[in-house]
Amino acid sequence: MSGKKLRIWGMVVIGILLSFRLTLAQEPYVVGISMAITGRGSEIYAPVKDALDVYFKEVNAKGGINGHPVKIIFEDNAAEPSKAASDAKKLITQDKVILLMNASLSSTYAPMIQTAKRYNVPIFFAGAVCPNEVYPPNADDIQFCSSGFASKYDSRFAMSFIKEQAKEPVKLGLVSMNIPISRGEIDFAETLAGPLGFVVVEKEAIPPTTPDFIPFATKIKNAGANWVYSWAPWATQVKTFEALRKLGWKGKYLAFAHIQAEEELERLKDDDFFVFGANGLFADNTSTHQKIRNTAAKEKTIYPYTQLTEGWLAAMVLEEVLKKTSWPGTPEKVKAAMNQLNLDMKELRGGPLVWTPNNHFRTVNYYRAYKWSSNQKKVVHVKEWTPYTVK
Amino acid sequence: MNIVVLASLYCLIGYGYVLIYQVSRVLNLAHGELMSLGGYFLLTIVIMGMTVSPLTSFLLAFILLLALGLVIYFVLMRLMTGESVFTAVLVTISLGILLRGLITLTWTSQSWFPLQYMGIRASSFQFIGGAQIPTFGLVKVASALGVFLILTFGIKYTRWGIKMRAVGENPLLASQRGIAIHKYYALAWGLATSIGGLAGMIQACDSGLDPGMFIIGLKAFPVVLVAGLDSLSGVIPAALLVATAEILAINYISPQASDVAPFAVLVAMLLIRPWGLFGTKEELERV
Repeated sequence: MSGKKLRIWGMVVIGILLSFRLTLAQEPYVVGISMAITGRGSEIYAPVKDALDVYFKEVNAKGGINGHPVKIIFEDNAAEPSKAASDAKKLITQDKVILLMNASLSSTYAPMIQTAKRYNVPIFFAGAVCPNEVYPPNADDIQFCSSGFASKYDSRFAMSFIKEQAKEPVKLGLVSMNIPISRGEIDFAETLAGPLGFVVVEKEAIPPTTPDFIPFATKIKNAGANWVYSWAPWATQVKTFEALRKLGWKGKYLAFAHIQAEEELERLKDDDFFVFGANGLFADNTSTHQKIRNTAAKEKTIYPYTQLTEGWLAAMVLEEVLKKTSWPGTPEKVKAAMNQLNLDMKELRGGPLVWTPNNHFRTVNYYRAYKWSSNQKKVVHVKEWTPYTVK
Repeated sequence: MNIVVLASLYCLIGYGYVLIYQVSRVLNLAHGELMSLGGYFLLTIVIMGMTVSPLTSFLLAFILLLALGLVIYFVLMRLMTGESVFTAVLVTISLGILLRGLITLTWTSQSWFPLQYMGIRASSFQFIGGAQIPTFGLVKVASALGVFLILTFGIKYTRWGIKMRAVGENPLLASQRGIAIHKYYALAWGLATSIGGLAGMIQACDSGLDPGMFIIGLKAFPVVLVAGLDSLSGVIPAALLVATAEILAINYISPQASDVAPFAVLVAMLLIRPWGLFGTKEELERV
């Protein structure tokens, strides 16, 4: 073989090797999410997609993670358990995802968990209520959760907040939506109310299909409640509050700060409507909030930037987990990374998100409360970050 | 007062069901979605700033819905002529699913409050004895009564109303007498859509708008069956009956029972008078 031919063959071989290496570098980390982009409750979950989209667009533009892009496959389960089950199977067996995610109604959890367990793929709940299996001391091997709202912890803060704020004996009205998770939390709040000296004068579990909240509000008002606490989907919380105000009720109302809270505080402009939650509102105007706001404006997100925090936090968690997952990613490696997560929440929350092998929820849950201030004409926080150790 | 307000909402939704059934013998199971569209049309009109007047916004949305009803008939339901009633009902179910998807695609899943864009704050009126009624509660009551009076007068005493009844009672004879039956079927669809949409508009102003709003349309369905599917005059007493059961359930049994109460009334009615309060007995056999 002549030198010329050798050079040509050498270049061909080098070319093939280079293209092979390039192909390898283009191999993505594949994550699959089954979520309620449409259907019941999608107003809470759909913005998570928006946040994940814009966050990882930026990550991939900067070269991805460990030299590999991140590919998130979205499936819309429309809040239907059967759809969630088939999504999970498809994502694991066909798309070969190394991590499953869920952002949907709690009724979709069981079928997804069942499938994830069968294939031993970790499942990450983001923006949806945390299942009991992630709490310490016996966290389930494959389930993890970063969502802001937490049953059995939220009401502890809520009750102590009411105790702190109340200038008079508390006659408490309790409002839930007639779904197990919401009813359970309100029942728990009721057990906390007594020892604090509150009198629970009325408890309402409002059906999801209610067209008119006035009859329920009438009962609460007539019972003489001067404080109302609600832990339910946003629509139930705010519609009950508005119905009470329409009836001329003058009391104070505390609700959980779902993703719509900030816009709603501005819409309602009511000094006695308080919200609390684990995520800081944009009123805090931290550098991360500014980043979310700018990214949302640049990428023209479908949902307002004020609704992206929960999804953004999930994206931060996902990025951190994948950083600790060496290439090639496998479910086992992802699980190992998730079991030792310690992530700075960059002021979106009161402190870091820490997962340990027996705690897949968080070691400390921080809460902050906000309201609209007529004097300052803006949303203000009325209580600093308050830590609750999760045991 | 709570009973009257809730009954008024059910009336506004119920008229549409009855109107379409009376004229074309089709149960429109997309009525809830069409009701939602009323709210979304109103929202779009106010967001786009097409008008600053709430009344004009309502009127524009009403006209758009009327047009939509006509389009639905001519594009979709007209093809069902000669097909079994069951087939037509299935088509309306499909239409509902399609509309739900389109609503989410167009207006996203988030909640909207049209009043916010109109610059109006929700208010209430005080009655004797300190009782308060929300402004849009009153609007519901006034609209339900107003629409009932207009429809009753229109169907009984106007030329198009008489022809509409003729088409409903005997389409074959009506067409042989030179009545353009498709025109009157379309008119029924247009009116039903716009009246249902009016309910959606008022509801959106009263307590916001989200893709799950169509469920209210389904909740009002027992009212129509209790009234009698082909009886416009039965809608008001049936709505009052169902609303009373619902409010009593909330107050004296359990809030959760309010979901079941309308269907309990419906079951009782089916046992006693399967054709409804004012329905035609023969209609039951026909269905």
